Amino acid sequence: MAALAGWWDDFFWGSVVVLQVFVTALILMVLFGLIGAAAKLSKNRVAQNLAAAYTVVFRGVPEILVLLLIYFGSAILLTSIAQIFDPSIKFVDLPPFWAGSFGIALIVGSYATETFRGAFLGVDRGLIEAARALGISNFKTFIYIQIPEMWRLALPAFGNHMLSLIKDTALISIIGLNETMFVAQQATGTTGKPFTMYIVVGGIYLAFSTVITLTVMVLEKYANQHLEPAR
Amino acid sequence: MSFDFSLIIDSIPKMLMGLGLTLQLLFISAVLGLALAVVLLLMRISRRWYLVWPSVTYIYIFRGTPILVQIFIIYYGLPQFEFIRDSILWPILREPFGCAILALSMNTGAYVSEILRGGILGVDRGLHEAGAALGLSVRQRFVYITSPIAIRLAIPAYSNDIISLMKSTALASTITLLDMMGIARTIVAETYAPYEIFISLAAIYMVLTWLAQKGFGRFEMRMSRYVKP
Repeated sequence: MAALAGWWDDFFWGSVVVLQVFVTALILMVLFGLIGAAAKLSKNRVAQNLAAAYTVVFRGVPEILVLLLIYFGSAILLTSIAQIFDPSIKFVDLPPFWAGSFGIALIVGSYATETFRGAFLGVDRGLIEAARALGISNFKTFIYIQIPEMWRLALPAFGNHMLSLIKDTALISIIGLNETMFVAQQATGTTGKPFTMYIVVGGIYLAFSTVITLTVMVLEKYANQHLEPAR
Repeated sequence: MSFDFSLIIDSIPKMLMGLGLTLQLLFISAVLGLALAVVLLLMRISRRWYLVWPSVTYIYIFRGTPILVQIFIIYYGLPQFEFIRDSILWPILREPFGCAILALSMNTGAYVSEILRGGILGVDRGLHEAGAALGLSVRQRFVYITSPIAIRLAIPAYSNDIISLMKSTALASTITLLDMMGIARTIVAETYAPYEIFISLAAIYMVLTWLAQKGFGRFEMRMSRYVKP
């Protein structure tokens, strides 16, 4: 434990980075999932096929491969674009924070697509027909009827997606994000106590997972309160 | 920037040289993980607190932390201790291959155990009671009634877990192993052509995923042949 003295603040700031990536990726993940589900449920053939390709690709390829491809791929693209304007530029990259958040959001978003699709299909058709009969617009039906109905159905699987997301943030250290794994690497370099350092990282992630699990439990209780029998 | 097809044709055979290692990691960890999962499951459903608690804690820890952290704790972390370097396990823990297998099996064991438990919870209670009424012992009921149905119910989730295990084997490249991912990273470091190399590697992984899905689909059909007309 003595080896940890002086590293607590680094681990704290590392955890803040993990949290920032998590929130950014969570927003993007919901966005990708909703777009993907909308495309899969649409009547447009092209949109259906694109969404199908998206889910097949991102669910079949290792996460680390996606991250490396996005990070190094975007670096090559950005560098070649920058060189058109100024040939002296040697290297431009997307910051690992954004490449990483975008990458894990794309990966988990492909799973969320299926979850949201299933949840939208689980909404009773009668409700949508009733809304149409009452003259409510499609957009308002979506916001006021389909979304409130579907999120309850999507919640258990969505909780698992959030857990995948928080665990995938650890992979972003591979492309150089200064989060907890990265801190542990540095701390190992100076103290020579790798076990202690990585156990701390494990503890931090366990704490995050626990908070997410508890939050989802509370939300599920809230979402299903109208289904509970009267006391 | 241009897309170099000759580079793809050159590098695919090189990456396929790592296929053997990827499949070794996958199969050995899958088998060891399944064995561990069954032990954890039996502890979990034993209703004895001194067996239930260790199993629940183990599953909670291994499902709550990233696999990369687990790999690093085992590969970089354990040699910190003198007694591990002196133990008989050292020849395994010294090698990145042994560490990767250990980390992957311990991780997948926790997930598969929960999947199997889900299968068991899905078995109709009535069948269990019918078995009891016919005078079958607890063990006979578990082996002849619960297990076959639970296995069938667990196949779809299990096949997903095998696919995520396959994806996790790519992380072995972070501890210097030259599986397909490790070879691809070496080639990219030499040629600096991430698009060509990584996209062709993605295609290889997708073929593997597709094969795994097909295989498990067949297995599920076979196990459910008495259910479907």
